[in-house]
Parts: sequence; structure tokens; C-alpha cells
Amino acid sequence: MATRFIARRFAQAALTIFLIVILNFILFRAMPGSPERVLARNPNVSPEAIQQIRERWGLDKPLIPDQLIAYIGATFRGDLGDSFAEQGRPVTEVVGGRIGPTLLLFGLGEILAIVIGLALGAYAGWRRGGSIDLVGNGVSLILYSMPYFLLGMILLLIFSSTLHWFPSFGMTTLGVDHDSPLAYLADLSAHLVLPVATVALGLIGQYSILMRSSIIETMSDEYITTARAKGITDTRILRNHALPNAMLPTVSLIAINLGYVVAGAITVEVVFNWPGLGTLTVDALKSRDYAVLQGIFLVLSISVVFANLGADMIYGRLDPRVRA
Amino acid sequence: MRSTIRARAGRTLGIVALIAAALAPGTTSVHAADGPLILKVGTDQEFSGLNPWQSVYVLDYEVFTLNYDLLVGYDKDLNYTEGFATSWTTSADGLTTTFKIRPGMKWSDGQPATADDVVYTYGFVLDALAKETTLGSGYLDGYVSSAGVKSVKAIDPETVEITTETPTPLLLAAYVPILPKHIWSKYSLEQIANAKADGFFANDPPVVGTGPYQAVQYDTQGKFMKFERNKNYWGKQGAADQIIITHFENNDTMTQALKNGELDYARGINADAFDSLQGQPNIVPVEGFANGYSYLTFNGYPKAIKDGGSSTRATADPAFRDALAWGVDLQQLVDKVLAGHGTPGTSLLPPFQAKWYVAPDPSVLRHFDLATADEKLTAAGYKKDASGNRLDKEGKPINLRMTWPASESELATAAQFITEWWGQLGIKVNAGVTEDQTLLVDLTPPEYDPPGKADFDTYMWGWVGDVDPTSLLEPFTTDQIGGSSDTFWSNARFDELFKKQGQTIDETERKGMLKEMQEIFYQEVPNIPLYYDSELHAYRTDHFGGWQNQPPDTGTPLFQFGPIGYTLLTDATAAPSPSASEAAPSAGASATAAPGDSGSPTSSGGANTGLLLALGAVVVVAIVGTLAVRRRGAKATEEE
Repeated sequence: MATRFIARRFAQAALTIFLIVILNFILFRAMPGSPERVLARNPNVSPEAIQQIRERWGLDKPLIPDQLIAYIGATFRGDLGDSFAEQGRPVTEVVGGRIGPTLLLFGLGEILAIVIGLALGAYAGWRRGGSIDLVGNGVSLILYSMPYFLLGMILLLIFSSTLHWFPSFGMTTLGVDHDSPLAYLADLSAHLVLPVATVALGLIGQYSILMRSSIIETMSDEYITTARAKGITDTRILRNHALPNAMLPTVSLIAINLGYVVAGAITVEVVFNWPGLGTLTVDALKSRDYAVLQGIFLVLSISVVFANLGADMIYGRLDPRVRA
Repeated sequence: MRSTIRARAGRTLGIVALIAAALAPGTTSVHAADGPLILKVGTDQEFSGLNPWQSVYVLDYEVFTLNYDLLVGYDKDLNYTEGFATSWTTSADGLTTTFKIRPGMKWSDGQPATADDVVYTYGFVLDALAKETTLGSGYLDGYVSSAGVKSVKAIDPETVEITTETPTPLLLAAYVPILPKHIWSKYSLEQIANAKADGFFANDPPVVGTGPYQAVQYDTQGKFMKFERNKNYWGKQGAADQIIITHFENNDTMTQALKNGELDYARGINADAFDSLQGQPNIVPVEGFANGYSYLTFNGYPKAIKDGGSSTRATADPAFRDALAWGVDLQQLVDKVLAGHGTPGTSLLPPFQAKWYVAPDPSVLRHFDLATADEKLTAAGYKKDASGNRLDKEGKPINLRMTWPASESELATAAQFITEWWGQLGIKVNAGVTEDQTLLVDLTPPEYDPPGKADFDTYMWGWVGDVDPTSLLEPFTTDQIGGSSDTFWSNARFDELFKKQGQTIDETERKGMLKEMQEIFYQEVPNIPLYYDSELHAYRTDHFGGWQNQPPDTGTPLFQFGPIGYTLLTDATAAPSPSASEAAPSAGASATAAPGDSGSPTSSGGANTGLLLALGAVVVVAIVGTLAVRRRGAKATEEE
């Protein structure tokens, strides 16, 4: 039954998230050093002060069970602690503020990549050996193999530094007070173009290559030959028969990619100084901001779990066999 | 009618192009013509906030000296000049200094700024010191304690008297911002000192101060701070109506933004990006001296440490360290590690400290010479065995561990060179990077709380100093073993001189002491100063003029000491005459801006071209797309 399938998937997801919470705790405690050591290089800090800091951050209590139990309880209450680096601002606030910009950037990039990548791949596979296939495949391979930061720097050099079409950094122009929401939107859009294009170009390569090979594989299946024999047009065969089947592997790739949004975000966001989860991760790593790192990893792992859950659901729709 | 994939693709591309075209016009204006004049500054460092006691980085110091005045400021030559106080006199015994506060001075909110505010600020620090509370990051309170301040009192609203335990040159150098009592006295010591305290006072904008610019916005997400001109500022007003300082994660992006004119100033540019700025129109790269140095430290801990310490007693032997210092080609390191942007190290005081730095006498100056190093090692009792391995005095082959913090990636290059040179002396070096925090733990000696094991042989890192040299000397005193000392070196004469120099007002006399300290240091080699890495900054000349390096010959215009660099700026866009070339940079640095370029922003032309191109693309795609839809649509209908 479909409902049982869904319930089982949800239960699995919940368990995974719980395990992630525990792993998250252990992982960060196992890392060497501790934040109060940064102060040790400052000649003016007394040992008493360092002890105070340890107590204040609960670093003086035993790791297990005290710190662990407190951590799990707090996490499920939505209290992820306070940032060490950002003067005690709550982690939910620090991390929460960065989710929007990252979602905006990667949401748009993903949508563009899905539409263009799948269309390109499907067409290239369908007209295998054609000019679009040859050019498209070559370009896709290049884009696929290029790291985000390199792609980003190239776009930055061409479209920002040389042509001056688009701004090079940030979400909006510094120091501009927008007098209307429309002006704000225009400014934001201008700042979005290069980072979104970087994300989209990076993903288009992957998606189109996979879609192409998937279509080619499907095309050799017997039901396609049968459909042809029945006299159905090429267009309809592609739309109604080949595409839905070829979509299956692509759906899982896209779902996995959604989960890696933050991983990819790091380099793209750093290149364009985009105030999202990626730059936050780099900052938090630099300042050894445990609490914020934990928050980011929690968000990241939950998004992976949900993306996979989503993939399962879509899979179920696309391929009834999965639901059984 | 059914559409085909190609038709869809055509339409999709059309939509994409349309979006791109719609966006293009919005991007063109980099500068509003009639808005406020904004100075845009990029930096590689991160903000620690607006509460000055929480300051950690140079950037934080920059922020609080924009907001507030020091009691005594610095002029462009780094001489003392008026700050919150206009003048000062010291009593004959050198223990009491009387400061005159500027009459009629106002805080940015219009409240009177008086002697009471000085008494509040210094009294607050004294209170924290008495209670042994570390104020925030613990950097600023150290200025008051090392000056030995005993008491602060207001004689009248325009007169403050500060007494110190001994005569000291450090009182005037105290880098402590004077804060408005009417705002800060509402908060407890804990609420100001401790970022985790309930009701912590973060000093959120708008900030109230007496400095030339006041922070009006701190965007922790976008990582920028916005400052507005303080209309009540007592000194010269700079041309900028607003200042925006932004943190950049990526050095290349910051450099590109400067090239595009999206920034007027960039701090902390890396060597490659810096070189690419040479000869760019309207851009002046500035290579300033660093007020600090990178070093290679030897573990000089005098005793054996169980499960820790140096792998050989040799690192605690000055003769061994001296010999190895002959085996390091400092100029080569400057060329290869810093791409030439620095100078070889000779002293624990960098040449930036022109008043105090003493170059070693040519008769004792070491230069790279492996043969000399070899002889000195043998003479000091470190002989080679049959297979060429250098042995320590216990007869064990010397295998030195060498490490550096992961955050200082360029030191990996230095390690490769040194490994090669010392290898030729028969000393095997095992070089490897250590994560910063782990390294900090490895460095702590048994005297530290909690006790560490000083588990290293040699390591590389850096120190950065103030205007006064005290903070650069202190880590080498015996008292700091278990504190900031990472060499565990101890020298009675050095300690004695350190104490005396902190109580000596006469500069000639003090310089004599510092000279001897530098000589002892050079001779004993607790660490090898590798190089003084340059401060690589750059600024644009098309929006602002009047850039002034501080100090003129070795400094940079901004991120030095106090806000003077901002107040001297002039509006380079204001010159209405056709000869736009007047706005030449005033600084001594060679200006690379071509006169003809300064008046014509390239962005507008580029943007128009961009708009036209985008529009053209839309038209072409739309036509092709429509044709494709028609043709394929017709064909599809036919076929079915």
C-alpha cells in the first residue's frame, strides 16, 4: 500500500535524523582543540578568565552523559545554543538568516539546470550523433569537470570585470537605500545572475550527460521498438514512453544534489561573497564556532534526508514498482 | 498543437535571455550621481562587533577608532596628537599626568563630552583589573595595566589627572577608546565584558561616540558595517558622507571589486592579486611595512618533559640555534614565499617601529652560508656520524620536527626550503602542518593551566605589534613562560631591561635599552625572525583624493592608527573643470593612474553595450524560437 510505503519512509527519515543529532555531537567534540585556547595566545588573559569561559560554555562538564543529554534535549526544543563568534547570538538566528539567500541562489540554479540540462540531455540522446549532441556533449563534459570556484571566477572576470554587466559581490549594492521594492528586486536580480549562472552551468553538465545516456539506454528497449512498429510518432514515443523511464536515474541524482546544496554553496558563495550558508560555514570553521557548525551540519543532513525522502516519493509516482 | 522538445528548449532559452535582459539595466549604476558620497572599503578580516572591548583584529581597532577618540591620538607621522584630550603635562616625578579635555566637545548625540567620560572609561578598566575580570577579548585592558595606572580623577570638566605606579612611556600609548558615560554606565562590568552574559551590551548601532564617523548599521549576515559622518566631530571632516566596510572571504573577488570600482579601498590583498593591480587605471597599490613578523621558534624548554618536550636537547642550546640560523636563506624565503613583498627578518622588532628597530651590526650579521653553519655546528659539539647524520650531544641523530598552523598556508613553502637547507647540514627535518587549535595545545608548557607538554621541536608563526614595542618584547620574558612565551627562553638581562624600558620616558635612554635587548635576542636566537611580510593595500583615485600613508614612507592610508586617513580624504568627483587630472593622489607612492582615465567611468559604456547585446540576444532567440515552434508544431500536426 502506498500509505504504508510513505509511513515507512518517514519513520526511516526520523530515525536517521535522530542518529545524525548524536553523530553531530560526537563528531564536533572529537575534534582537536577547544575554543578557549584561542585566548591562550593573548598575554593579558588570566587562567581564571579561561576557566570562567569554560564554565560559561559548559565545557567543564563531563562529555557523556551531561553534555550529550543536554544537547539532545535542547536540539529537539529548537535551541541550538549560541554562537561563540557572533557575540552570543542564538545559532537558530545565525543559521536561519543564511538559509534564505542559499535557497534563493541554489533554488534558481537548480531549476534552471533541471530545465535546461534535462532538455539538452534528452534532445542530445534522442538525436544521438547530431550536431546538438556533439556540441552539447562536449560542453557538458567541460562544465561537469570544472570546479564551481573556477567557473565562478571565469564568469566574474568576463561579465563583471571586463564587460561590467553585472556586479561582482554581495546580494545588493553597498550603500544603496532602495526607494521601492521593485528597485530592490532589480538590484537583487542583478547580483543573482552570475552566482546563479555558475550553479546552473555546473549542474547542467551533470544533468544533461546523465539524461542523455539514460535516453540512449531506454531507446534500445523493446517497448520503444514496439511503439515504433505501432506507428506512433517519434515525438509521442519520446514524451510518453522514453522520457518517463529515462527520468528515473535523473531524479535520484537531482535529489542527491539538493542535499549537497551547502557543500556546493561554499565555493560559489565564497567567490561571490554571497551571505549564505556556504560563507557561514567557512567563517564558523575559521573561528571554530562549534555551535554554528553543528547547526549548519544539522540543517545540511536534514535537507539530505528530506531530499532523499522526496526522491522516494517521486520515484513512487514515476515507477509504481517501487511502491510494492 | 503539440510542442516538441526543440520548441520548448527554444522557448526556455528565450525566457532565460529575457530574464537576463531584464536584469541587465539594473546592474549598470555603480555610483549614484546625486546620493551621499560613500567610501567603500574591502577587508580580508572579520568583524568582532561594535563593543570595543571585544576587539581582536586590526579591523576591530579600525572600527572603534572611527567611532571613538583615544585620549591621545596619532598624527600622520605616528607622533602623539590631540585626541579626546587636547594637551597633557607630566609632573616632575613622572607619576602624575594631567590631561586637558577639549572645551565644548559633544558626543554624536549632542550630550557634552567631558573629563567625567575619561574617568568613567579608565575607572571601568581599573575596576575590571581589580576584579581580575578579563575585559572581552582581553587586549585593551592590557594597555592600562602595563602602563601601571593607579588612579584617575576629574579635577574639573576639562581636566583629568592620571597617576601611575612608576614613570612610564606607556600611558600616552594606551590604545583605549573613551566611551560615553551616559550610555555605558547603565551596564554592569559583566554585561560589557562578557559576550555571553545576560543583557550583554553589544553596542548595537547607532553608536554614540566622539570619533569622525559613527556606525549606523552592522549587518552580520552581509558582513558589512555602515558609518555616517559625525556632525559633532571636533576635527577635520573627511569628504565621505558614509563609509561602508565589507569583509571578503575571497581575496580575488575583493581585488576584482576594486578593479570594477565597486570598492575604493582594499586591505590585505594577496601577493598575486596585488601584482595584477600594477598599472591598472585609477588604482594605486600600496606596499606598507608590517608591524609584525613571521618567525621560526625553537623549543628552548630547559628541562626534559615526560611524554613531551623537544626531541633533542640541542634546541635549547643557543650555539645550535645560531648555527642553524646561518643555514636559512632569508632573502630566498622573501622571494619565494612572499613573492618579494617583504624584507628578511633580523629583529623581534620590525623596521616599521622605526624609532626602536635596530639592525644588527654588520660584524655579527648572519648571512646564508651552509659552510659556516656546518663549521659552527661541529665547533659547538654537534658532530656527524659515518653516514653524514648530525648527532646531538647525547650521540643521537638529530631529527627535527617542524610545523606551522594550517591558517598560514604560505609557511608550507618556507618549510620546504628550510628542510632542504638543513638537510645539507645532516639534520633531517620532518615537516608537517598542524591545525591551529591543536598547535596551540602542543605549544603549551607544563607551567600553563592546564599544564601542557610543549610537544614540539621547531614551529613557525607570527606576532603583530602596537605602536609601542612593549607587546612585541613581552613574549620573550621569563614571566611569560606559561603565558604568551612560545620559546621558553629565559635571559635575566633581557628581563631586567624589559622592566626598565617600560618605566623610561626618555626616548634616547629607552632606545639604548631596546638596542641591547635586540642584540641579546639576535645572539641567543630564541627564534629566527624569518621576514616582515608587507601590508598589501590598494585604493582608487577616481572617487576620493587626499590619500595619506601613515606613516608617509612605510605605512598605508587606512588600517593604521586612528582615523586620520579617513578625515584627510577629499572628493575627487567634485572637480567640475574639464581637466579631471587634478585629482592626483597626494601620497608619495607612485601613482599609476593615467590622467586621462580618471573622469570617464568605464562601467556606463560597458553596461550600455551589455544591454544592447542582451536585447539583441533576446530578439534573435525569440525569432528562432517562434520559427522553430511554428515549423515543428506544423510538422507534428502533420505527422499525427
